[in-house]
Amino acid sequence: MEVADRNNREGMKAWLNPGRYGWERASYWLQRLTGVGLLAYFVGHIYETSSLTQGPDAWAAMLELTQTPMGHLILLLVIGMSAYHSANGIRLIFTHGGKGLGKPGRPDYPYDAVSLNYRQKSGIWIALILAATAMLYGASVLFGGE
Amino acid sequence: MAMLRESQIMKIHYITGIAALFVVAVHILMRLIIPFSLSLEYENVIANYHNIPYVLLLESILVLIAIHGFNGLRIILLELRQSKAWEDGVTILTIVAMMAVVAYGTLTIILANGSRF
Repeated sequence: MEVADRNNREGMKAWLNPGRYGWERASYWLQRLTGVGLLAYFVGHIYETSSLTQGPDAWAAMLELTQTPMGHLILLLVIGMSAYHSANGIRLIFTHGGKGLGKPGRPDYPYDAVSLNYRQKSGIWIALILAATAMLYGASVLFGGE
Repeated sequence: MAMLRESQIMKIHYITGIAALFVVAVHILMRLIIPFSLSLEYENVIANYHNIPYVLLLESILVLIAIHGFNGLRIILLELRQSKAWEDGVTILTIVAMMAVVAYGTLTIILANGSRF
């Protein structure tokens, strides 16, 4: 008798699929993508600042590389990512503590999860709006010609 | 491999995240109290590294974000795949990477400070 494949693991496909749980799913992978992006920036920033120890010329050479329109666009993305990751992270801390999930109810058709409610959606939107606002302010500082 | 329970690790993750938010905010404000481009001049940046409270702030940013960031990476990798070997491997790899980043960053702080502690 043939043994059925019981491996139901979807791996990256399940992780990146935003269609299954709506905004909450998009928020789930945005939190992870921004986290990985910020970690990459953090490591790069530590490497960038280490050029300080080699004197003013090495520092100036590093600034020539990073203080460009492309460097500023990357920094703008980092500002947006950190604002979103922080605001959504605070929402998640409350959610993991059981706050804002609503009361359990009888599972009636169409079986919408009570936990995926307006409070959670508002939190996600606040995180997105804060990220956009932070990016606008960042753009005014980086491209404002100061 | 389990020296701490996952619930304890998550508490550390949340505490380091919130603490990092405050110290990074101060770090960014230090860039904005004078015009941004001026704040990046070599003399100004080195002067920051000679200021002991600011050095302590930088070291705390380094440690907090390294713990939070590499634990976050560990969580993502453990969500993707589960087996004893994978979980142990990911945990060891992220701890080693975290320690390497903290050591490299601390070296920069000490050298830029010019041993003025």
